[in-house]
Amino acid sequence: MTVRTRYFVIVSLLVIVVGLGTGLVAYYVGFPTSAFFSRGGPDELRFMPGSASVIAYADVREVMASELRQRFRKAVATGAQENGQREFQNLTGINIETDIERVVACLDLSANGLGMGAGLVLARGTFDETKIEALMRQHGAAVENYKGKRLVVGDRFTPPFPGNDNGGAADPTQPQITPPPQNSEAFSLAFIEPGLVALGSRTLVQQAIDRQIAGGESAATNEELLSHVRPMEGGNVWAVGRMDVLRARAKLPDIVANQLPPITWFSIRGRIDGGLQALLSAEARDDESANNLRDVVRGFLALAKLQTSSKPEFQRFVQSLELSGTGRTVALSLDVPSQVFDAVGAIAAQPPARPQQ
Amino acid sequence: MNNSSLLPSALRIFDISLGQMLWSRRSVLLGLLVGAPVLLAAAVRLFAATNQLPVINGAGLNGPTLFGVVIWWLFVRFIVPVLGVFYGTALIADEVDDKTITYLFTRPVRRASILIGKYFAYLGCVVLLVLPSVVLVYFLLVPIGGHIGESFPALAADLGMLAIGLAAYGAVFALVGAMLKRPLIAGLVFVFGWELGVLSIPGYLKRLSVAYYLQALVPHAMPQDSSISSLLLAIQDQPPVWVSLIYLFVIVGLSLWLAGKSVENREYVLEQ
Repeated sequence: MTVRTRYFVIVSLLVIVVGLGTGLVAYYVGFPTSAFFSRGGPDELRFMPGSASVIAYADVREVMASELRQRFRKAVATGAQENGQREFQNLTGINIETDIERVVACLDLSANGLGMGAGLVLARGTFDETKIEALMRQHGAAVENYKGKRLVVGDRFTPPFPGNDNGGAADPTQPQITPPPQNSEAFSLAFIEPGLVALGSRTLVQQAIDRQIAGGESAATNEELLSHVRPMEGGNVWAVGRMDVLRARAKLPDIVANQLPPITWFSIRGRIDGGLQALLSAEARDDESANNLRDVVRGFLALAKLQTSSKPEFQRFVQSLELSGTGRTVALSLDVPSQVFDAVGAIAAQPPARPQQ
Repeated sequence: MNNSSLLPSALRIFDISLGQMLWSRRSVLLGLLVGAPVLLAAAVRLFAATNQLPVINGAGLNGPTLFGVVIWWLFVRFIVPVLGVFYGTALIADEVDDKTITYLFTRPVRRASILIGKYFAYLGCVVLLVLPSVVLVYFLLVPIGGHIGESFPALAADLGMLAIGLAAYGAVFALVGAMLKRPLIAGLVFVFGWELGVLSIPGYLKRLSVAYYLQALVPHAMPQDSSISSLLLAIQDQPPVWVSLIYLFVIVGLSLWLAGKSVENREYVLEQ
């Protein structure tokens, strides 16, 4: 072998080895492109239970500022949206649009099952703690001290839902939402860090405070969960969850449960800007189940493509559907351009057809 | 000559042939073929730095998708078979055309070891050029809206699949080159006629192609551009990865064995 051949071989091998090495390190360690993903997921995961069955994330600021949201706001249900936001603001003093930067939520079905007390929401942003606490007290919430943190508990909390907003005074004509004292599922709120508010059941909020103080087991230490959360980086909305746990807790009738595909994990990563780009992934129990699921989805895609061949406004969306995945993974990517939302808005705005006499 | 001398002789031939192949005029073609995707990826990267990538058929492009398209359409469908044809058929045919095969056959080595040595030189040459090209394309394209770590399993699978593809096509065309007088034409007909034809026809004929087994190893989804292609995908049968691997190794082994036998038994008459 001549010297120049030897150099060529060395350089080629070097490119391959350095490339593979870099990719391997990135695969196992991750190259964070965002500070929120410094641990292989948002920082808030360290306050969430390790047994969480579903984790969801939304970059509220980005989504609220997106072109799609602005168009959606103009086109569809403007009043309903604003009413919902106002109700939440009246209840908690938090303005979703301006105060919240991002939200991470989880569903922990290990203790309470699929009940009201299973959810925990951590919202990061700029909050006026005194105002929020005062507003909640005005609506009947009580303030407790839990390990040095102020825990606002709605044991006697009367949310100002329509017909219930009377400044905290009980309306004898309306049924009151009054959880029993010391109810572990009572709605609670605590500022566990500056700019980070935890909302959820008393138990889960207290546990979040425990984790903030003492650390220990959390969603951030659950490697299996993290391995599914890491690929979500880059999406401004996403959710990851254990389908098998959800199915077991949902107590579905056998006839329905048997029809569901044997999926263990699912994930949805979305990017909302001018349109919506999303990747839906499912991890099947084994390769055969994944192949079956791929076949089913492929069949539906082919059918959808044939059905929408005469509808150009939906055709672009259906053509963007792409099935992928190997082994136990089945993935479906989609891109919904803003024109599709416009078309849906136009259809929704049409007056219903009158029945013929 | 006994069988034990086959490998050392083949290694000696490999050592000589690797340099010859790398610095031959044919390598200009190889350089263009593997350089074009890198240049294309660099251009896309530069474009993406200042502009939004276009939306095609309603689907927004991103780096990992583009990388999958480049691997599927440029490497699997074009570069790998073309390299196999041009290099594989030339392993023996070039020596016949240059009338230098007589000198090789007068050496005290088995004729088959010449073919095997040249085949490994071909494999070393193309693998050392194609795989770095794929790695460069990966690092240029994937960061556009994607993540290096996330797509790494696909890269590793692609590199393995391409190496096996180069080995399989090279072995098949080494056999063609050893058996036929005008192997290049037969090779091109096989790649761009037979393989493309049988893959689009339902039935078992596709099993008589290399592409059928190679496609099963591609980790990227086949681009679907129409309802018809979606339906074809829905009804297509694709062998499991392990079956494809077995078939591809059998193709390599059988082709090389037959090519070796052909070189050993054939009388090469050099045109004056």
